Amino acid sequence: MRRVTTTIAAAGIAAALAISATACGASSTSSGSSTSGSSSSGMKVGIAYDVGGRGDHSFNDSAARGLDQATKQFGGTPKELTAKTTDTESDREQRLSDLASAGYNPVVAVGFAYADAVKAVAPKFAKTNFGIVDSVVPGNNVDSMTFASPESSYLAGVAAALKSKSGNIGFIGGVDNQLIKGFEAGFRQGVTDTKPSDKVTTQYLTTGSDLSGFSSPDKGKSAAGGMLSKGIDVIYSAAGSSGSGAIEAVHGQKGAWAIGVDSDQYQDPGLAQYKESILTSAIKNVDVAVLALIKSVHDGKALNGNNTYGLNNGGVSLATSGGFINDIQPQIDAVKTKIVGGQIKVKSTS
Amino acid sequence: MTAVRSTSVEGGGGRRAGMSATTTTAVPATAPKAPQAKRGRLSYPVLLLIFAGALLAVCAVRAITGAQDVTSSGQISGMLQMAVPIGLAGLAGLWSERAGVVNIGLEGMMILGTFFGAWAGWQTNPWIGLVAGILGGMLGGLLHAVATVTFGVDHIVSGVAITLLAQGTTQYLAKRWFNTGHAAALGGNPKQSPPIKSVPSITVPGLSDSLLTIEHHHWFLVSDLAGILGGLVTGLSYFTVLAALLFAATFFVLWRTAFGLRLRSCGEAPIAAESLGVNVYFYKYAAVVLSGGLAGFGGAFLAMVPSHIYNEGQTGGRGYIGLAAMIFGNWRPGGLAMGAGLFGYTDSLQLRSGGPAAHALLLLLVILLVLLAARKVYRKSYRQGVLSAAFAALLLVWFLMTDTIPNEFVSATPYVATLLVLALSAQRLRMPKADGKPYRKGQGK
Repeated sequence: MRRVTTTIAAAGIAAALAISATACGASSTSSGSSTSGSSSSGMKVGIAYDVGGRGDHSFNDSAARGLDQATKQFGGTPKELTAKTTDTESDREQRLSDLASAGYNPVVAVGFAYADAVKAVAPKFAKTNFGIVDSVVPGNNVDSMTFASPESSYLAGVAAALKSKSGNIGFIGGVDNQLIKGFEAGFRQGVTDTKPSDKVTTQYLTTGSDLSGFSSPDKGKSAAGGMLSKGIDVIYSAAGSSGSGAIEAVHGQKGAWAIGVDSDQYQDPGLAQYKESILTSAIKNVDVAVLALIKSVHDGKALNGNNTYGLNNGGVSLATSGGFINDIQPQIDAVKTKIVGGQIKVKSTS
Repeated sequence: MTAVRSTSVEGGGGRRAGMSATTTTAVPATAPKAPQAKRGRLSYPVLLLIFAGALLAVCAVRAITGAQDVTSSGQISGMLQMAVPIGLAGLAGLWSERAGVVNIGLEGMMILGTFFGAWAGWQTNPWIGLVAGILGGMLGGLLHAVATVTFGVDHIVSGVAITLLAQGTTQYLAKRWFNTGHAAALGGNPKQSPPIKSVPSITVPGLSDSLLTIEHHHWFLVSDLAGILGGLVTGLSYFTVLAALLFAATFFVLWRTAFGLRLRSCGEAPIAAESLGVNVYFYKYAAVVLSGGLAGFGGAFLAMVPSHIYNEGQTGGRGYIGLAAMIFGNWRPGGLAMGAGLFGYTDSLQLRSGGPAAHALLLLLVILLVLLAARKVYRKSYRQGVLSAAFAALLLVWFLMTDTIPNEFVSATPYVATLLVLALSAQRLRMPKADGKPYRKGQGK
């Protein structure tokens, strides 16, 4: 009897797990197939989103915007697939090879999680052009799209220095990895180049392989609270969704400013009640890079190698929504011209 | 020992003796009847002295290092926000383990709490969100109870399964519920919910302001006390008050009522309890479902007080840290609250002030180690005394030679602090005797 009940229970739990797993899978395939349908006219663009997919108000959405623009310009029906959190390396490879073998060209992989998958799949489909966002993968048929985030962070630093009354400026990083340290380096350089006497205080939410710093609004709020209590009045957070906690804390302090990251956070409906405190955002325009790749394939001159999108080609920029930086826009534009012209070299390591 | 245990579940006069026996921490296994069991625990004057000493040490550290944040009101309210979810997770673990069921699924039940709390919260108000979060956690608890109590599944296996299941289910539902229609227009997406309204909070008028004024003078001890009190009376969320009441209620129910005695007897000696007519399955079910509800509360708190959204991965392992806090507290609410407080304090300190404040804590550690060394030498265990003193000296050198601590060490502060305390007090810990052991109805026959 004992064994029977144990077996039943084990089977029940296994079934429940299987259902939950297939449930996730089912939803992502359905969202993919809803937009599929092979049409012979126009381009066949395949895109594989990172976890979250279209509708994440962040870089997946930005990539989707690029795709939509391309579809409008060149016609055709794109195929969109979305990653799951439970993905293994082979799931990602399978997704890319499915797209490539179905004749989609180019195949765009959104997010650095796909780097190894692209490296494995691209050589097998020499005639297909691949695109990888936020990572560098070697290969003649791979367009590695990277973004010069330190440059937009530099501009954010200039705005922070010009807007700070106390001369104390804060930077909150999600995780202390190389990518986020690049944000910090650019920001710090922007502040000190503008006002050498200003002090930048840095706080990372988590370190090493603990990536929870990108998804802990409570930690962002604590860190921002600590900074505000020390007289810091402008805080730039490059910390994913933890940044919303920092923005909330800043909103509670009169005269303090928050600077957002990746997307124009002033426009984020989830942050609507705090938007009067969002000075600007350092934006990463994935759509620019995706559109450029699709266009290049359309024109028969497919991009390959490492293409960096910076201030010069609109890959990164500083948001102006809200009009809070209108008064200092001339100075920011002057700095931007210098960065594009090469007079200012933005550091990506501190 | 079994003789002592079985008296604890007998009714009448045996109850008192049994009560004190189960509450002692250092009863040697051969002790016949735990004479004067209260001796094993710290008396209230001693406890108060220790607290006063700790406060003085912290004041001294603040005065010497100038790390004002060590006792600031912002730090204290930050500590509360960090500590409450961990404390509630620990309290959930305490209920479950006191009834003999190891609950490693706390993390999953917290996830259910954050999700359902936010789901109901954004559409209505935080109070209904809280109820939904608790119910969501209870659902997880019920599943754990069915698996472990009725079907006798290994507690760890079931707990891990529940955590995985909670992650998968909430990810799936978030996509369905937060990424469509009205929710998406308000800022929901597959990874987060639309914002929830703020939970009302208490700020004691007058008192709060005057305490803040005193705090800003940075007087030794006076400002520290003002900062700590100020943190407790400024912007205190109703949820925090509720959580504190739950700690008191847990102590009362588990240690002062017949229900609690029977529940604990299921965790100590279920067969003996059964032989005395206690319905062990009922008590285990009650404990595990309540445990799920408490974990759900912790999750709902996380989604509604320190932030205003559900966010995928928001719990960040707090369920497991809650278990650590529970072990730290020797399966008792008071100790657990201290453990959670310690976690909250170091976590908040490292987030608010980073390297310099953690650097100040080094000095505190030096003071503690010197005291420990003195105590060991006084007790004539010279080797341990010298060892502690040597560590103190090393830390002091480190403190004097540097201005800050590398980032990696700073974020490890809460864990190191817990490890240290666990290492120092591990000999005094005693878990419920039948914790995690399988029990089938009718074994006592």
